[in-house]
Amino acid sequence: MAEQSILVIGGGISGLTVALEAAEAGHDVTIVEKNPYLGGRVAQLNKYFPKLCPPVCGLEINYRRVKENAKVTFHTMARVESVSARDGGFDVTVSVAPRYINDRCVGCDACAQACPAYRQDDFNFGMSKTKAAYLPFEQAYPMQYVIDAASCAKDCGQKCKEACKYGAVELDMKPQTLKINASAIVVATGWNPYDISKADNLGMGKVKNVVTNMMMERLAAPNGPTGGKILRPSDGKEPKKVAFVQCAGSRDENHLPYCSYICCMASLKQTAYLKEQYPDATSDIFYIDIRTPGRYEKFYWKVRDMEGVSFTKGKVARVESAPNDDVTVTLEDVLSGKRVQRTFDMVVLAAGMEAAARQTPPPLDINYTAEGMIVPSTLKPGIYAVGSAKSPVDVAKSVQDATGAALKSIQSALAGGRK
Amino acid sequence: MSERVLNPDLGFVKDVINAGGESLKKCYQCATCSVVCNVSPDDSPFPRKEMVQAQWGLKEELFRNPDIWLCHQCSDCTAYCPRGAKPGEVLGAIRRMSIEEFSAPRFLAKMVNQPKFLLLLLAVPVAIIVAFVAGQGFLNFSNVPLTDGKIEYGNFLFSLKYVDPLFSAIAVLALASLIMGATKYWKAMYAGMPAGQQPAKPLGVAVSETISEIIAHKRFDKCETTKARSTAHKLVFFSFIGLFITTILAFGKVILQPGSGYLAYLGHPVEVSAAFLTGLTVVFKIIGNVSAVALIIGIFLVMSNRMKNAPKAGIGSYYDWLFITIVAGLGITGLLAELLRLANTPIAYPTYMIHLSFVFFLFAYAPFSKMAHMFYRATAMVFGKMTGRI
Repeated sequence: MAEQSILVIGGGISGLTVALEAAEAGHDVTIVEKNPYLGGRVAQLNKYFPKLCPPVCGLEINYRRVKENAKVTFHTMARVESVSARDGGFDVTVSVAPRYINDRCVGCDACAQACPAYRQDDFNFGMSKTKAAYLPFEQAYPMQYVIDAASCAKDCGQKCKEACKYGAVELDMKPQTLKINASAIVVATGWNPYDISKADNLGMGKVKNVVTNMMMERLAAPNGPTGGKILRPSDGKEPKKVAFVQCAGSRDENHLPYCSYICCMASLKQTAYLKEQYPDATSDIFYIDIRTPGRYEKFYWKVRDMEGVSFTKGKVARVESAPNDDVTVTLEDVLSGKRVQRTFDMVVLAAGMEAAARQTPPPLDINYTAEGMIVPSTLKPGIYAVGSAKSPVDVAKSVQDATGAALKSIQSALAGGRK
Repeated sequence: MSERVLNPDLGFVKDVINAGGESLKKCYQCATCSVVCNVSPDDSPFPRKEMVQAQWGLKEELFRNPDIWLCHQCSDCTAYCPRGAKPGEVLGAIRRMSIEEFSAPRFLAKMVNQPKFLLLLLAVPVAIIVAFVAGQGFLNFSNVPLTDGKIEYGNFLFSLKYVDPLFSAIAVLALASLIMGATKYWKAMYAGMPAGQQPAKPLGVAVSETISEIIAHKRFDKCETTKARSTAHKLVFFSFIGLFITTILAFGKVILQPGSGYLAYLGHPVEVSAAFLTGLTVVFKIIGNVSAVALIIGIFLVMSNRMKNAPKAGIGSYYDWLFITIVAGLGITGLLAELLRLANTPIAYPTYMIHLSFVFFLFAYAPFSKMAHMFYRATAMVFGKMTGRI
């Protein structure tokens, strides 16, 4: 029998954890990641709650563990094309898109500097641009540039190639197909921010200076589009009056019917970012219920007691442009029974988590809820699901879940697969 | 805020749920509805407050609330409700219950609201009209005399003897019941006013503002989800006014007509010129026919709008559809009765009988059916204007 490994679909915090725990217990693991880097959504965060430490530290440790462990194989810009179950495991086909830059890349940036073309930076949710030859973000792992062929027309690639003195630019790189024998499959496909422009009353994409909570993470992150200084997108003004709109798309049958679990904590955390940068700023959080599960309640108390932070019960159901690029929100203050309009420098929509598998389900026989969440109790032997592929969770819960899934997949591997 | 003791009426909560507010308990008080509602005032906006009042069984507070009728069921709230709690439909159910609460006799109101009594309610006018026809031996339609070889409904059911006294009496009774109900509602709203509140404007001004707002359909025009409804309602509304004018003018002719007119019948004929009577006839025929066509178009627009909006706004209740069906039936049979009479075919007679049954149904059950909405909503609007709420 060919050598078997545990296949992990998705190299975010859940997938990385599964892979590392299983590999460090002596098992071969293969990660298939669609992005050109590992780390997933966590890489885009400025800080974790509740301790407010930068996730880059945690990711860096994980990257080092991957680098040092020969049992971990990973493929970026890759996706699982097909899976067929057989006795004792799965035959998996994986396709790898061309990166146009090989592993001789040292990350010197010469190709990007020479590159004449630009592309929208999806890592920063389109709030900035990168060259068509780019490194997804400073600490990206693998530390290897990428050429976005769609944005790099004509002689653009040639200029990159000429600039690289290591021979790392390979413009004729072709898509690859790999075959993997897997003893177990762990689905760690994670989540996407819900496209809140679908809520036509919340102004996303129509009203200037309305951003999502994930955009706010990028605005506050040192490696973000503003170098870590929170500035509003339209004019770069320092926002001193910021509103947070809770349940933007979550707990809403017209969008995501469930509570996304993290958005209240995210807005509290981002209020802390704001107050740290601008002590005189005000933060207004508009909520239906503030949900800070378990011990997170203490974090709520901490932020609640900050000066200039106020909480109003009442869902914002209208967001409109105001003069000077400001934003007006309308809500009913439920406790006073008054419908009020308030104007802010910037409005952050606490948009929810949507399962990534809803748009791009892996080619597996899996049962999903109507919202694209995996129903774990119905998974076939040898297939496991972790983290936000199953339900909206935070990083801590994802990591716990992934550690458990690592043990399950090891058991499958030891039993000869598919157990 | 002072302490208040609430006395929930759990039976009332169940009644609201049974009356079409099934979704009531899904509401989690996020207040999206109060924001997306364009007809709600800023101070204590509806319908969020009504949703919690209904969940808590605060019957009194709801029934004496002008807001339940200031709502025009645009259904913007229902479309945007994150929970499918359908505030528009819940308020519709509460309005229906409030009509039942204020109208008299109450047993009739209960019957009009329940499909199982529909046949019985229909049987009343049908029986009366069949009895009139049978009494003259006209159930065999070939016995009905013709005028110059043409069908004339006056020969079939002489309006002064059969139609007018019956329908006038019913209309008067219905009107009395409607006025009583609206008065009770007014008194309840007045009693519910905060102590010491002064009227914002005189009653006369409130009334005239209300009338102009109703005619212009200003509140309807603020609806977004059901925007098309305004046109449909305008057609039905103005055609009803047109048909009312037609009825008055026709009645005038019936009174004045030499030979067969009411005054002549009583032995007090008056002199009116033939030209005047012909002119009168031409005028009401034009108004009547235009109104009839407008009514039919309008009511079909009402139906198609409801179908189209159903996924977002809900299809509506038995109560809504009963009223729509009666109005549609009235319009269609009315126009058909005219056309078949002109075609000189005996099918005209049963058509006319059906038409009269619809008219009877509309008049007699007006205080309890959706027809009553015009009185209650107008009352609430006047009250709202007077107190400065709208």
